[in-house]
Amino acid sequence: MKRTLILILIGFALALWPLGGYQEGIVILMCINCIAAMGVSILTGFTGIFTLGHAAYMALGAYTTAILTVRYGVHWFPAVIAGGLMAVIIAWLIGIPTLKLTGDYYAIASIGLGEAIRLILENWQSFTRGARGFPGIDPYTTRTMAVVIFIVLAILMFNLLDSRLGRELRASRDDGTAASLMGFNTPRTRMKALVISAFFCGIAGSLLGGYMSFIQPSMFDMMKSTELTAVVVFGGLGSMSGTILGSAAITLIMEYFRDISQYRMLIYGLLLVVIMVFRPEGLLGSHEVWELLRWRRKNNA
Amino acid sequence: MAFTFSTFIQQVINGLSLGSVYALIAVGYSLVYSILLFSNFAHGGFLVVGGYACYYLLTQWGYGVSVSMFGALIASGITAVITERLAYKPIRERTSLTLYLLIASMGVNIIIENLFVVTVGGRIRALPQNTFPTGVFSLWGGVTLSASDILSLVTAVIFLGLLQVFLNRTRWGLAIRAAACDIRTAGLMGVNVTFLISLVFFVAGVLAAVGGIFLSVRYSLYPQLGSITTKAFIAAVIGGLGSLPGAVVGSLILGLAEMLTAGFISSQMRDLVVYSLLVIMLLIRPAGFFGKEISEKI
Amino acid sequence: MLELSHVNMRFGGVMALSDMSFHIQEGSLTGIIGPNGAGKTTIFNIISGVYTPTEGQVYFQGCDITPLKAYQIIRLGVARTFQNLRLFTRSTVLDNVMTSAQNRYINTYREEYFTGGMSQANRPAPESWYSFIESCLHVGRWAKTERTLRKTSLELLDRVGLADRADQTAGTLPYGMQRRLEIARALALSPKLLLLDEPAAGMNPEEVFELNDLITGIHRDFKLTILVIEHHMDLIMRICPHIICLNFGAKIAEGSSGDIQNNPEVLAAYLGTDEEE
Repeated sequence: MKRTLILILIGFALALWPLGGYQEGIVILMCINCIAAMGVSILTGFTGIFTLGHAAYMALGAYTTAILTVRYGVHWFPAVIAGGLMAVIIAWLIGIPTLKLTGDYYAIASIGLGEAIRLILENWQSFTRGARGFPGIDPYTTRTMAVVIFIVLAILMFNLLDSRLGRELRASRDDGTAASLMGFNTPRTRMKALVISAFFCGIAGSLLGGYMSFIQPSMFDMMKSTELTAVVVFGGLGSMSGTILGSAAITLIMEYFRDISQYRMLIYGLLLVVIMVFRPEGLLGSHEVWELLRWRRKNNA
Repeated sequence: MAFTFSTFIQQVINGLSLGSVYALIAVGYSLVYSILLFSNFAHGGFLVVGGYACYYLLTQWGYGVSVSMFGALIASGITAVITERLAYKPIRERTSLTLYLLIASMGVNIIIENLFVVTVGGRIRALPQNTFPTGVFSLWGGVTLSASDILSLVTAVIFLGLLQVFLNRTRWGLAIRAAACDIRTAGLMGVNVTFLISLVFFVAGVLAAVGGIFLSVRYSLYPQLGSITTKAFIAAVIGGLGSLPGAVVGSLILGLAEMLTAGFISSQMRDLVVYSLLVIMLLIRPAGFFGKEISEKI
Repeated sequence: MLELSHVNMRFGGVMALSDMSFHIQEGSLTGIIGPNGAGKTTIFNIISGVYTPTEGQVYFQGCDITPLKAYQIIRLGVARTFQNLRLFTRSTVLDNVMTSAQNRYINTYREEYFTGGMSQANRPAPESWYSFIESCLHVGRWAKTERTLRKTSLELLDRVGLADRADQTAGTLPYGMQRRLEIARALALSPKLLLLDEPAAGMNPEEVFELNDLITGIHRDFKLTILVIEHHMDLIMRICPHIICLNFGAKIAEGSSGDIQNNPEVLAAYLGTDEEE
C-alpha cells in the first residue's frame, strides 16, 4: 500500500513538475525505457530467461499502434493496448517451441527470432513501408500520458511480483527442477513470464512510436535488445526497483553525453564491462529499494 | 528467377566460399564456448581488429601481404588474450554465472567497434586492389570461379587443418580437449588453466582475424563488420555449440542456404532464411548436429 | 497407498533399477537403505516423476501415475526433499515455504466418460489460491490468502525450529538448517506421501538426534506416509519399523529392522564393503 502511494507521488512529481520542452522529452523517454526494461526484468531478472531479442516486441507494439491509428483512424488508447496484445500473441506463438530451450540456446534463438521479426517488418513493404520507416504517426504520447501509463504499469508489476506469481517465477529461476517438484508447471511458468514481458515491451514500443511520430525497423535491432537486457543487469537481476532506477539512470547518462555522441556508445560499452567486473550484482543486487532501506534502519537502531 | 543448373553451381561455389569464412569464425567461437560455456560476443570485435590491423599494415606501413596478414593474426590474438585477462578472468574468479561473462563480452564488442569509430571513423574502407589475386576463371555455362573464392576455401581448409593438428598432436592441444570435457578436473590434473584459457582465446582471435581479412576482401572494412559474427554464432548453434566439426558443418550449411536463397528467391530473404533455419534446427534438435545433450543430476 | 510394480530403469546401457517391486502401507514409516549407487535416489526420482521408468508401473492411491509429469504427481499429494539441497537459495526462508504452501491442491476423482475408468483431477485448494487479476490489483482474496499462507508457513518453520530465521536468505543458512528447511518446504504442500532423500547427510550426531525426533514427530502429527533414504544405518534402525534394502539396483531384502539386521545378504552387502575399507 505504502509502495503504491509512493509510486503515485512520484508519478505526480514527474507529470506536474514544470519543465522545458527538452526535459519533457527526456521524462517521456525515461518512462518508455522504464516500461520496456520492466518487461525484460520480469523475464530475465525474475524468471532467469536471458533474452536478446525483446526489441522485436517493441517493434510489434509500435507498428501495430502506428498502423491502427494512421491507416484505420483508431483512437490511440485502444491502439496502444492492441500494440501490447499483439506482442503478447506473437510471444505466445514463439514461446511454445522456444521456451523449451535453456541458457545460451534460448538467448541465441531470441536473437534469431528478434532479427527475423525485424526483417519481416522491413520486407513487408506494402504493409509497413519497409526499411524507410513509417512516418506521420500522430504524436499522442504526451508527458502526462507516458507518466500515467508508466506508473500504472509499475504498480501492477510490483503487485504481481508480491503475489503467488512472483514466488512462482523466482522459484523457477532459482531451481527449475525443484520448482517442478514443488508442483509448478514450469513450462507454463516460463510462458507466463514471457507473455507479461512481451506486453510491457509492446506498450513501450507503442508509446515510442507516438513520441517520435516516426518508426523504422532499424530502431528495434539487436543493439536495442542488448541495451534492454544490459539495463536490467545494471539495475540488478531480481530487483524491479533496481531495473527502474537503472533504466532511468542510463537514459539520463546517455542524454548527458548526447553532445559527444560518437563517444556515447564507447562509454556505454565501458560501463557494461566495468559493472560486470566490479559489481556484477548490479545497483541493488536482487533486493528492492525498500528492503535495503529497512535493513539500514534496523542496523542503525 | 528461373532455375538453371549453372546458377545453381555458381551459388554453390559462392555458398561454400562464404561458408568457409563463417567456419573460421564459428570454430573460434565454439572453441571458447567448449571451454568456458559462454557465448563470447566480443568475437566479432577480434575479427574487426584483425581486419583493421591488416589494412593499416598494408597501407600505412607498406608491409607485404604475408607480413601484414601475420601481423593482423597476432594483433587479433593478443586483443583476445587481453580481453580475457582484463574482463573475463576477474568475472570468472568471482562468480560461476556465465550470464555476466556474456554481458561483459557484449560490452567489449561495443568498445572495440566504437574505438574504431572514434579513432579512424566509420568510413567504409577497402583493402588495396592488388593485395590478393583477383583473377576470375570462367567455367562452363557462365559459371565463374574467382581467385578469392579459391583462396578463402583453401585458407580455411589450411587453418582448420592446422587447428586439428594442434588439438590432436600437441600437448597443449590435448590439454584443451581435456578441459573441454571438464575444466576443473583438467586443473586438478596439473594443467595451468589460466595459460590454457589464454591460449584458447589466442587461437580463437587468430581464426577470427583470418575470417576478418577475408570478409574485408570480399565486402569491405568498417567498424560494424563484426556484426556478421551473429551468422557464425548461428552456424555454431546449428552444428552444436562447443563442437568444432559441428561449427564447420553448420557454417557450410548456412553459407549454402544463404547463397541459394539469394540466387533463386531474393537476396533480401537470405537473412530471414538464416534465422528460420536456426529456429527450425533448435526446434527439431536443440543440441545441434554434433552437440551433447546435457542431463542434470538430481 | 504406493506400489512399484516390476519397475526397470535403464540409462543408456546401465541398469539402474531392475524388477523393483514393493508396496508401502498407508501411514507407514519406511526406510530405504543400500550402498552408494544402489539406486535409492533413482526410486525417488521415479516416484516423483523426474524419470519415467523404462518398464513397469507406479501406483499411488490406486491410480497409475507412471505417465504423469512431476508437477502433476506432486499435486496429487507427493512431496520430496533432495539429497543435494535444492532450496530456492535467493529467496528468504519464509518465501521458500510459502512458495510451496501456495501449491496445495485438492484431488477429486471423477468417472471418465469415454473410458469408463476413474481419473483424478486437481483443483487448487481455495485457501491458498487467488486469481491473476487479484494478484495485479491486490484486491479480493489476495490479502486473506497471503495472510493464511504466511501463518501456515510460519507454523511449519516453528515446527522445524527455524521460526527465528524466517527473514534470512535461504542460501545463507547453515547446512543442517537448510536440510530442515527442505523438510518444512515439502510439508507445506500438505502431502500424503513424504519422500526424504538422505535428510541426515552432513549432520553432526547431535543434529541427527534432533532429526530423529523431528521425523517421528511429523509422522505422528501430520498423519503422513514417509519414505526415508538414509546412509546413517542407526537412524533408520531407530525410527523405521519397516526397511527395504537395495544393492545394485535390485531389492535384496525387506522387513522389520530386526530381520534386516540379521539378513545375511544385507550383511554381505554392507560388511563386504567394510572389509575392503
